[in-house]
Amino acid sequence: MRNRPIVAAAFAAMASAAHAADVIRDPAAGWDYLWYEVLVDISILGIAFALITAFFVIRYRRRAENEVGKAGRLTAAAAVGWTVIPMFVFMADDFFLAANGWQLWNTYRQPPANRIEIKLESGMYSWDYTYPNGVQTQNVLKVPAGKPVLLRMTSRDTIHSHFIPDFRVKEDSMPGRVTYLWFYPQKPGEHIVTCAEYCGIMHSYMIGKVVVVPEAEFTAWYEQEERKLAGGAGQPKKAGA
Amino acid sequence: MSHEPSAHAHAAHTPEWEVSVWPFVISFGILFALPVAFGFKFVYGMSFAAILALGIGTPMIVAGIVGWVREGMSSHHGEGLAFPAMGWFILAEAMIFVSIFASYWFNRLTAEAWPPAGSIELPKVLPIVMTCVLVASSFTIHHAEALLQKGNRPGFNAWLIVTMVLGSVFLGMSAYEWNHLFHENFTADTNLLGTVFFTITGLHGSHVIVGLGIFLAVLVPALQGRINEPFVKTAGLYWHFVDIIWFFVVSQVYYW
Amino acid sequence: MGTLKEWIFTTDHKRVGVLYLIGSLAAFAVAGIMALLMRWELTTIGPTLTANPTTYNVWLYAHGAVMILGFQIPALTGFFANYCIPLMIGAKDVAFPRLNAFSVWLFYVGIILAILTFFIPDSPDIMWTAYPPYSTITSGNTALYTFTVLILGFASILGGVNFLTTVAYMRAPGMTWNKLNIFVWCTLAAFVLQLIFVPVLGTAVTLISFDKYLGTGFFDPAKGGDVLIYQNLFWFYSHPAVYVIFLPFIGVVYEIVATFARNRVFNYKMVVYGGIFGIVGLSGVVWVHHLYVTGMADWIRIGQMVTTLLISVPVGFTVIGLVGTLYKGSISFETPMLYALGVLFLFLIGGLTGIPLAITSLTLHLSDTYYVVGHFHYVMAVAGTFSIFGGVYYWFPKITGRMYSEAIGKLGFWITFAGTNIVFWIMMDIGVKGMPRRYYDYAHFPQFENAHQWMTGGAALIGLGFALAVLNWIVGAIRGAKAPDNPWGSQSLEWSTQTPPPPGNWKDVPTIREEWDPYAYARP
Ligand code: HEA
Ligand code: HEA
Ligand code: CUA
Ligand SMILES: [Cu+2]
Repeated sequence: MRNRPIVAAAFAAMASAAHAADVIRDPAAGWDYLWYEVLVDISILGIAFALITAFFVIRYRRRAENEVGKAGRLTAAAAVGWTVIPMFVFMADDFFLAANGWQLWNTYRQPPANRIEIKLESGMYSWDYTYPNGVQTQNVLKVPAGKPVLLRMTSRDTIHSHFIPDFRVKEDSMPGRVTYLWFYPQKPGEHIVTCAEYCGIMHSYMIGKVVVVPEAEFTAWYEQEERKLAGGAGQPKKAGA
Repeated sequence: MSHEPSAHAHAAHTPEWEVSVWPFVISFGILFALPVAFGFKFVYGMSFAAILALGIGTPMIVAGIVGWVREGMSSHHGEGLAFPAMGWFILAEAMIFVSIFASYWFNRLTAEAWPPAGSIELPKVLPIVMTCVLVASSFTIHHAEALLQKGNRPGFNAWLIVTMVLGSVFLGMSAYEWNHLFHENFTADTNLLGTVFFTITGLHGSHVIVGLGIFLAVLVPALQGRINEPFVKTAGLYWHFVDIIWFFVVSQVYYW
Repeated sequence: MGTLKEWIFTTDHKRVGVLYLIGSLAAFAVAGIMALLMRWELTTIGPTLTANPTTYNVWLYAHGAVMILGFQIPALTGFFANYCIPLMIGAKDVAFPRLNAFSVWLFYVGIILAILTFFIPDSPDIMWTAYPPYSTITSGNTALYTFTVLILGFASILGGVNFLTTVAYMRAPGMTWNKLNIFVWCTLAAFVLQLIFVPVLGTAVTLISFDKYLGTGFFDPAKGGDVLIYQNLFWFYSHPAVYVIFLPFIGVVYEIVATFARNRVFNYKMVVYGGIFGIVGLSGVVWVHHLYVTGMADWIRIGQMVTTLLISVPVGFTVIGLVGTLYKGSISFETPMLYALGVLFLFLIGGLTGIPLAITSLTLHLSDTYYVVGHFHYVMAVAGTFSIFGGVYYWFPKITGRMYSEAIGKLGFWITFAGTNIVFWIMMDIGVKGMPRRYYDYAHFPQFENAHQWMTGGAALIGLGFALAVLNWIVGAIRGAKAPDNPWGSQSLEWSTQTPPPPGNWKDVPTIREEWDPYAYARP
């Protein structure tokens, strides 16, 4: 897996999180970690079943034309055992996975308090962001590195889904409801945003980007835009795009 | 596929490949009368073509049902099992109502205000009368069945007709009410109450129509002296079901 | 062969079954060609085959809708159920033969409607999920989809009523519930699901047409409605629908595996009462796993994560039963068995890749990517289709009275097996890396161009393999060698009548002896 370093980082992050509760948990790293874990889990199950099948298929292939299978009827105890034991094994695995999934889910759904909160209205076919100070951008979400970002989303027409593959997160935006997602950009860089819910003809062209910049640069940009907004004649300016 | 020779020994018992044209006719009748007609009218705005399609489809359906009932009356194939089968069918039907009521509940319980703006007062007396009529019809059909059991065929016919008249009266009152609401400019697209009211009463009404159709298919042969008892019981079961659903409609739509 | 009139107007369950098979294979061919067109379009970035995204979206809509509603459900609950169930339970026909003929012709009306998509102005471009608000504001013809679903659904409900009654009341004397073939159980379960859930789908798609054409406001927030109600109704059906596909197809696989391993089904009662009943019981409480990214309340998303994961228990029973049936068997590898073992293998991949999807937090990344597409093609498109193809091969001698070519059958199998693994494995891979689904163009994901080209190549292989199989059947049905009554040496009742079965199936309705059982090969 190309995600190995991330996995390691996640381990580290989790270990340190245990010590300092105020450390922000990055859902993306948690995702990579859980994905890896689940992948191992299902691979073991799949390979085990496949190997047993392969063994039976080879071992019990027909050798004589009039041969028939020799499996006897199961005794009642065996029948019950063969039901109850797998049941508990599978259920144990299910609950293990559910617990891990739930934990990560909490990370995804409980945004840290020191976040920056941005409104998103999606429409055919653009992403329109509104910052707390009223600055608006289209299709470009500029955020400071090192600060969690929360999007409060709605839509003016069809359902869209704000998908940022690099941050392992998406959530639908739809008319009549407000949904949210958050992510944790740590390093400056650009990340693609793409629409993941079929919304019409140009669905596949509904692309934007998250631009993560150093905190200082962001603040400068942010204040400059705010001044422009105040200076401009009431009309909100669209930046970016 | 050939009949092998030994079958001739049992020639009297060897079944032939059975055929019936009516299922085919009804199916294609439905094609014209529903999707094609609806499509012409509402999607492409071609009313004349829609009427044409209805004109082709409806006679096919009617002819198909008549032919099917004729055949059904003259054979004793399976119809004895119609009663339990109707039980399964009613399960499916009930699920339609469950899902539509669920949508209604969900919308209503999350609504900011109920009734929503633009609503008008729904009548409160008429539904009670309608309930009485429908309940009465359940009793009359029950009575008709009892008479049939005792071998009283004319009595059965008479009470069946009474049931159908009651059903028609019910439909008439429903139509009157709809008409009244239309005149007050209250329609399905007014607001959520209109949406729910017309969809649910319309759905129930369409079941009443189907029920009456089934009764017609019992009545016509019955007047000619041919009665298939399991079929009568099955028709009655469906009617009771339609009746019971009405209680939900009344309590949820008119009085909640 | 019988005259054309005898075929079209037939009420005989075997011929009705064959009509289902022909119709659903035609639907499969149409939808398969749509898949090839889509794959062709995706070979390069930017327009390849068509410059109009709507054209692609119509193909995708038709592909999904026809494959599920027009091909798999009718093939499994129409063809197999019709052909096999009366024979397996020792009945002369179904309870309501005319109703049965009605179902099959309604089914034809349904696929005619589905195929009309390509011949009308404003074809529907709403995807098989038809989510509002898009489906209520598009210029595409949503009503066509509504009626396709309603008519196919109605056909299926009538079929369900018919078969539940048939099995309950028309079993041969001595045929107790615990002697029923696994396939019969599976199909009954599927029909129970259809009866309970199809009406919900019918309501959902009817209400979108009402909203669109009659101005109601169920799903329109401007009128006080809620868009998520539709999605809940839709998936409340469409999740159980995947078990409507899964159950009969695993049933077919059981029949094949038991016959070619000449072995008793392993732990029959666990499979039936644990596996099949368990799936039916859980299938109605997991639909929210398709709505993990819609912002539904957290408690319901987490609750249904647990129930979704628990589905692996009953499904696991059915897999254990299959593998166990091989134990101490006497296994031979004719074409049907290859397909059946293929299903086992592919379903393991498909089912296990459903597990990450079931975990809410992982789905926040995976949902609506090609990973999902890969998952469901493995379970449904590949495992499901393989079992249909295996099943047709298996009962082919009984149906036609002739044999197919074993060599071509095996060749076709290996070609499709290779093709499917290329296509759908790559899909899962690019999905995890972020490729969203339902994309006409992936200009912003140039890194996946190579993968898409591989998939197109693989898709051509799949098509070739399936076409070989169909060709094999056509040639076999016309010119194949005469088949004996019971070429595989099966114990199951359907093989005990003559080949092909006469009208009425049996000269004398069979009486089932105490010690008989459809899988009793070794005498204890
Ligand atoms: C035949 C069809 C079929 C079947 C059988 C399944 C089976 C399963 N599916 Fe799948 N699924 C689809 C068809 C099917 N699916 C389709 C068509 C879609 C997409 C629709 C669309 O959006 O267009 C979909 C989408 C889909 C989603 C939504 C993804 C999204 O859009 O975000 C999810 C999420 O939970 C999911 C999960 C599962 C699970 C958990 C199973 C389980 O039933 C699998 C159980 C099987 C196993 C687990 C393997 C065997 C068991 C064992 C070996 C025992 C041991 C295992 C464990 C203890 C884990 N599926
Ligand atoms: C049972 C269901 C089923 C089956 C079998 C298939 C089969 C295939 N599917 Fe499909 N698929 C779906 C169900 C299925 N699919 C669904 C539900 C969706 C989602 C739709 C949506 O998003 O709304 C989907 C979406 C989907 C996509 C996603 C597109 C996108 O999101 O943009 C792709 C892309 O490659 C694809 C490809 C294929 C391919 C290559 C095959 C191949 O396996 C097909 C190969 C078959 C053939 C080529 C036919 C050959 C047969 C013959 C020649 C027989 C001849 C017969 C006679 C003459 C009688 N499918
Ligand atoms: Cu917006 Cu897809
Ligand atoms: Cu599902």
